[in-house]
Amino acid sequence: MRKLAALAAATFLTVAAAPVVHAIDHGKGYPGFCKDDKGVTVVIDFQQLGGAAIVRCNPQSTAGTGLDALKGAGFQVAGVQRWGEAFICRVENKPAAADQIPINGRENYRELCIDTPPAAAYWSYWHAGNNCAWDYSQWGVKNRQFLQGGFEGWSFSLNATADTNPVPRVAAVRPGTEGKACNAVDEPKPVSNDPGETQAPVQGRQPQATPEAEQQATPPPGAPTGALPPPKPRASATARPKANDPSSNIAFSGGENAEDVNEVIKRTSGASDYAPWAAGGAVVVLLAAGFFVARRRKRANES
Amino acid sequence: MTSYFLPRDLHPAAWWVWALGLAVAATRTTNPWLLLTIIAVAGYVVVARRSEAPWALAFRLYLVLGAWIVAIRVFFRLVFGGAEGSTIILRLPEIPLPAWAAGIRLFGDVSAESLLGGLYDGLRLATMVICLGAANALANPKRLLKAMPPALYEVGTAVIVALSVFPQLAESVLRVRRARKLRGGNGKRTQVLHSIMIPILEDALSRSLQLAASMDSRGYGRAGLVEARQRVLTGAMMIVGLIGVCVGVYATLDGSTPRFLAAPVLSVGLLIGLVGFRMAGQRVQRTRYRPDRWHLPELVVALSGLGVAAVLFVTSSVDPTNLNPSLIQLSWPLLSWGPLLGVLIGVLPAFLTPVPEPPHAALEVVAS
Repeated sequence: MRKLAALAAATFLTVAAAPVVHAIDHGKGYPGFCKDDKGVTVVIDFQQLGGAAIVRCNPQSTAGTGLDALKGAGFQVAGVQRWGEAFICRVENKPAAADQIPINGRENYRELCIDTPPAAAYWSYWHAGNNCAWDYSQWGVKNRQFLQGGFEGWSFSLNATADTNPVPRVAAVRPGTEGKACNAVDEPKPVSNDPGETQAPVQGRQPQATPEAEQQATPPPGAPTGALPPPKPRASATARPKANDPSSNIAFSGGENAEDVNEVIKRTSGASDYAPWAAGGAVVVLLAAGFFVARRRKRANES
Repeated sequence: MTSYFLPRDLHPAAWWVWALGLAVAATRTTNPWLLLTIIAVAGYVVVARRSEAPWALAFRLYLVLGAWIVAIRVFFRLVFGGAEGSTIILRLPEIPLPAWAAGIRLFGDVSAESLLGGLYDGLRLATMVICLGAANALANPKRLLKAMPPALYEVGTAVIVALSVFPQLAESVLRVRRARKLRGGNGKRTQVLHSIMIPILEDALSRSLQLAASMDSRGYGRAGLVEARQRVLTGAMMIVGLIGVCVGVYATLDGSTPRFLAAPVLSVGLLIGLVGFRMAGQRVQRTRYRPDRWHLPELVVALSGLGVAAVLFVTSSVDPTNLNPSLIQLSWPLLSWGPLLGVLIGVLPAFLTPVPEPPHAALEVVAS
């Protein structure tokens, strides 16, 4: 009981004390690329979901997971109810629950983030060393460590297959280092030393790895593959291809003007400030009424 | 209008439709405001419209069961790693596990987000269980069996015999206890099995068998007029039909199975099953004694339950955010008016239906 009370109190305090929350937590990280080889640059490419890409830096000089990189750069992410934050379902409230995602064959699909999103519409997870081409991550977001001075990329994959997953359209090149050699090391070992996690990711448990995407090896008919970047060349760790020319980057921002996610959700869902009070009132009234009815019946039975 | 509110027991199927409507509505949401409102609505209707029958007293048990479900869900989040989210409210020492238990975490940091996630999830399951409890409390199971289609007549007969075991078990306990008291034996623990359990089981079983024998001698469960070949055919059709329906439903729900297993198998299975059902029904020729009829109050009850489910289905396709509160940032769950008013439709049966017939009403009329 005391624990419950503590939980309630903590919840209340957090809610009451929460300042105006921005979509981007400007207290964490800073907009744009990282200025030196400390920390990790996080690139979010919304692709067909619309909106300019966002590039922010997490200047964390200690080791951390991909999730730490996202959060430390100030992004607001949501996991799925089933797996928690091990599967990133929304970044900056995209895809929003109210939006329809035009998946081939399921044109009215809405992402509720309850179970694993479909292989045809999910956030693909990429990483790259400075001046290197993007690599599709073989590990889940909680199972790989970001590279100091490197890049973490998130690109929304819609109606794509394992071979056509869209690469983030911002090259992994820090300003001032253009033209230098790709200096990435091998894919960093996963965070944990557990043998169970250093094997190829089990489908379902680490769902953002390729096995799931490979199920859909044949491209669905009518897929807008023409709009997507060419298939990513896969190369061994020793001979990594170089990054694209940064001049071909799409427009991006540091997320300075992004709207508060909670405000957006409230506005788009038509929620009312009074409805929760009405619900609470209805519960109290019904409980009281039930109590009186039961007492009256008991008295009638006794008489 | 005056006859509308005359005390009588409603058709049990109407209460089941109402309760299943509420339960389906509960599956659509994890919003604690809505779930608590659904529980309050179901509880109030039960208090206002339940009878004095023994099964009507079981609602309290379902409430306790619901509370257990919620508590266990939250407790498991506490034990098996509840560190999703950034608001850590409790720091427990983590128990290191060997390498073969990779992926499992015992204790460690507990965040408010993960506890709330467990709470919402458990509350949804608890609400569904409580809705079923409401149906059990309001609907008379014996009259529900009476209203079964003729094809299920034999099954229904067996269920009646089975159902009569439990009340008899309770009565047997009382009788055996009284007998033991009269004999003055207060007995040791080791003798309880011998002196109480065996007589009770034997008594209840033999009385159920007696009931079955008396029903048999009155012509219940009679299958003599049907040829053995036709009986085998009917049974085979029903089983094949059921298998087809199962495969079809699975294929319909799972998008990765071949499409020819979905709609075609489902419809063919349904067809075969229905034909078998009809054939089984045709060989049972009996009339119902005073069948329950659907009047206006029954329609009101059923429609109010269906209405709740329908409103939540419609609103979940318009603004799904409110039905599944996000736990990105800790905040009070949002709620809009549509789903709340929809859930409140479910309380109408508490006002718009006749009260159940008081027990022994007929005797009181005779006496006065």
